[in-house]
Amino acid sequence: MASAQVDLGFVDSVALSADFNAWACMNCGVCSASCPMGIDLLPRQLFRHVVLGLRAEVVQQADVIFQCLLCKACEQNCPAGVHIAENVRSLRGYLDREVFGLDRRYRVGASRPTKEGQHAAAHG
Amino acid sequence: MSSRRLGVYICYCGGNISDFVDCERVRAAVEGEEGVVIARTPMFACSDAAQQEMIDDIHQLGLDGMVVASCSPTLHQLTFRGVAERAGLNPYLYTQVNLREQCSWAHTDQPEAATRKAIQMVRAGIAKARWSEPLEKIRVQTVPGVLVVGAGIAGLRTAVALSDLGLAVTIVERSERAGGWVAGFGSMYPHDRSGAGLVAEALAEIGRRDNITLHTRAALVEKSGSVGDLVVVLDVAGERVSLNVGAIVVATGFDTYEPAEGEYGRGLAGVLTLPEYKGLLDGSEGPLVVDGHPVSSVAYIYCVGSRCESCEHGHTYCSRYCCAAAVHASLVTHERVPGVRQYHLYRDMRTYGKYESLYTRARQQGSVFLEFDPQEPPSVEAEGGTLRVTLRDLLTTGKELTFPADVVVLVTAMQPKRNEALNEVLKLPVGLDGFFKEVHPKLRPVETVIDGVFIAGAAQAPRSSAESVASALAAAAKSAALLKKGSVQLEPLVAVVDPAACTWCGLCAEVCPYGAIEKVLYDGKEVALVNEVICKGGGSCVPVCPYGAIQVRGSTDAQIRAMIEAMEIEHV
Repeated sequence: MASAQVDLGFVDSVALSADFNAWACMNCGVCSASCPMGIDLLPRQLFRHVVLGLRAEVVQQADVIFQCLLCKACEQNCPAGVHIAENVRSLRGYLDREVFGLDRRYRVGASRPTKEGQHAAAHG
Repeated sequence: MSSRRLGVYICYCGGNISDFVDCERVRAAVEGEEGVVIARTPMFACSDAAQQEMIDDIHQLGLDGMVVASCSPTLHQLTFRGVAERAGLNPYLYTQVNLREQCSWAHTDQPEAATRKAIQMVRAGIAKARWSEPLEKIRVQTVPGVLVVGAGIAGLRTAVALSDLGLAVTIVERSERAGGWVAGFGSMYPHDRSGAGLVAEALAEIGRRDNITLHTRAALVEKSGSVGDLVVVLDVAGERVSLNVGAIVVATGFDTYEPAEGEYGRGLAGVLTLPEYKGLLDGSEGPLVVDGHPVSSVAYIYCVGSRCESCEHGHTYCSRYCCAAAVHASLVTHERVPGVRQYHLYRDMRTYGKYESLYTRARQQGSVFLEFDPQEPPSVEAEGGTLRVTLRDLLTTGKELTFPADVVVLVTAMQPKRNEALNEVLKLPVGLDGFFKEVHPKLRPVETVIDGVFIAGAAQAPRSSAESVASALAAAAKSAALLKKGSVQLEPLVAVVDPAACTWCGLCAEVCPYGAIEKVLYDGKEVALVNEVICKGGGSCVPVCPYGAIQVRGSTDAQIRAMIEAMEIEHV
């Protein structure tokens, strides 16, 4: 298996809201256990891919990211206070913008309110 | 002395003894022995009820000696001496027989033989008790001064605390400057106080006190005397200085593990140990530069030299301070280098207690934590003027990841400071890990088996500077508690010479490992005299005396002979 190249800049292009906090995930797996959809990838492994900038892995999971009900059963039970639903929304926004080319309003640099210093320029 | 009235107690130890030794048969065999007034078989001799029964026996039956056949004296000799004392009996009229460790536990497969051996042992104990004599503890005036070995943060803080308690302190430091490791550090966790500042503060406090003397380029080279009244010889920059102190606190600190060539890329440009990296951070300002290259990414590899079960170099223990120290270094780096990428490659993150907040802050600031299996350690290679780190990350489903890093920081272990010369002088026990060993980790955490010698700081175990200072203050309190009373009491079980029989051949003085025997004039002739304070009651001197002129109290010739004779009696 070839090594995957880590890219710590990737997360900045996903996180458009100050509430995005994939870093807080400690990989315990309570989210996977409490998911009514039985989506075992989400969210812990997904967030790991986001944090490490494994873009190919994230894009490959686009279907799963849109299967989520945003019911927050996972968020209610998360011991690390991860904003799981908000994080998933951010990811959907990223896929819309950068993969499907759907909503230009949310491109990086557009006028959506952002927290100062939180966001970097678009990723490569 | 053979007219003693003895109480004999053969303990069941709740089955530990009675499951293999027929205690009732032992009692029946010895209850008719000369001098035995009462023989009992308590379920637990150490229980409050059994102790009270012994006291009542002593009072009601007019006993003047007692034998308890139970466990090792290490465990309960003091307990039963206490019983004797509470009943108004001299504690040295009590004899303990170790029926558990030396009989029942050792012979669980042969109960009949164990019972016969137990009968012999108890008979010997009775014989010894019949010939025992009341003894008084030896009282030694204490010297109100302490020698502190090592002038790191632990040694300096010990000295200040002892000085505040009114004791004179002499500090010896082997190197040329005081302060140890901490003096070389800038910002330290958890309060971001500078290590150099903390040491400067301690040195200023020492400067303001006239009862502290600090010697650098100095070492402890000789020690004699006994607890409370020690004579130490120091080598101060080549000059020998003799000093009288009551106690010694050893705070000699630690060394840092040096990775082997090639271990995690050691030897490549940009691969530093944590102390080296801290030195770089603390010794520069503005953007971070290593070997002329600006630093924009740092990888920390944890547990280097620690927690090695099977590795060639390294240690089995966790070095304890390093997770928090490395995470703290990454926080300092984040302040220094805007946008820095930081990777932490760990096995288990142990930012224990309050230091968890450092770990949380590091993650908030964008540090990424990756977990590796010690069986598959990360690799570090040079590639195009930078370093390339590759690992299999257990937190990303075991996926192999790779990333560039300008600096790789090896978070290295703490290891015991090597100081063979000092070990030779003090003869302090060290654990398998090489650190000095306390008597008991919870009950006597800063005391050693050498009376009057205490340990503090990272010489005892890997610990943070805060923990080192806490143990330093504990050692100060314990040594002051010993010396502030003004006197200490020593065991009277030491050698005595009968000057009438002695001819001073000098053989006893030759074999004594403590140098406790000296030549004196007695009644116009030369004889040997034992310094009771130095003598440990080891008994090497007894068999070499051609005239039987020397004996050890509590194990006199009369007692030993009576014990042997008692063991020869036919079994019942």
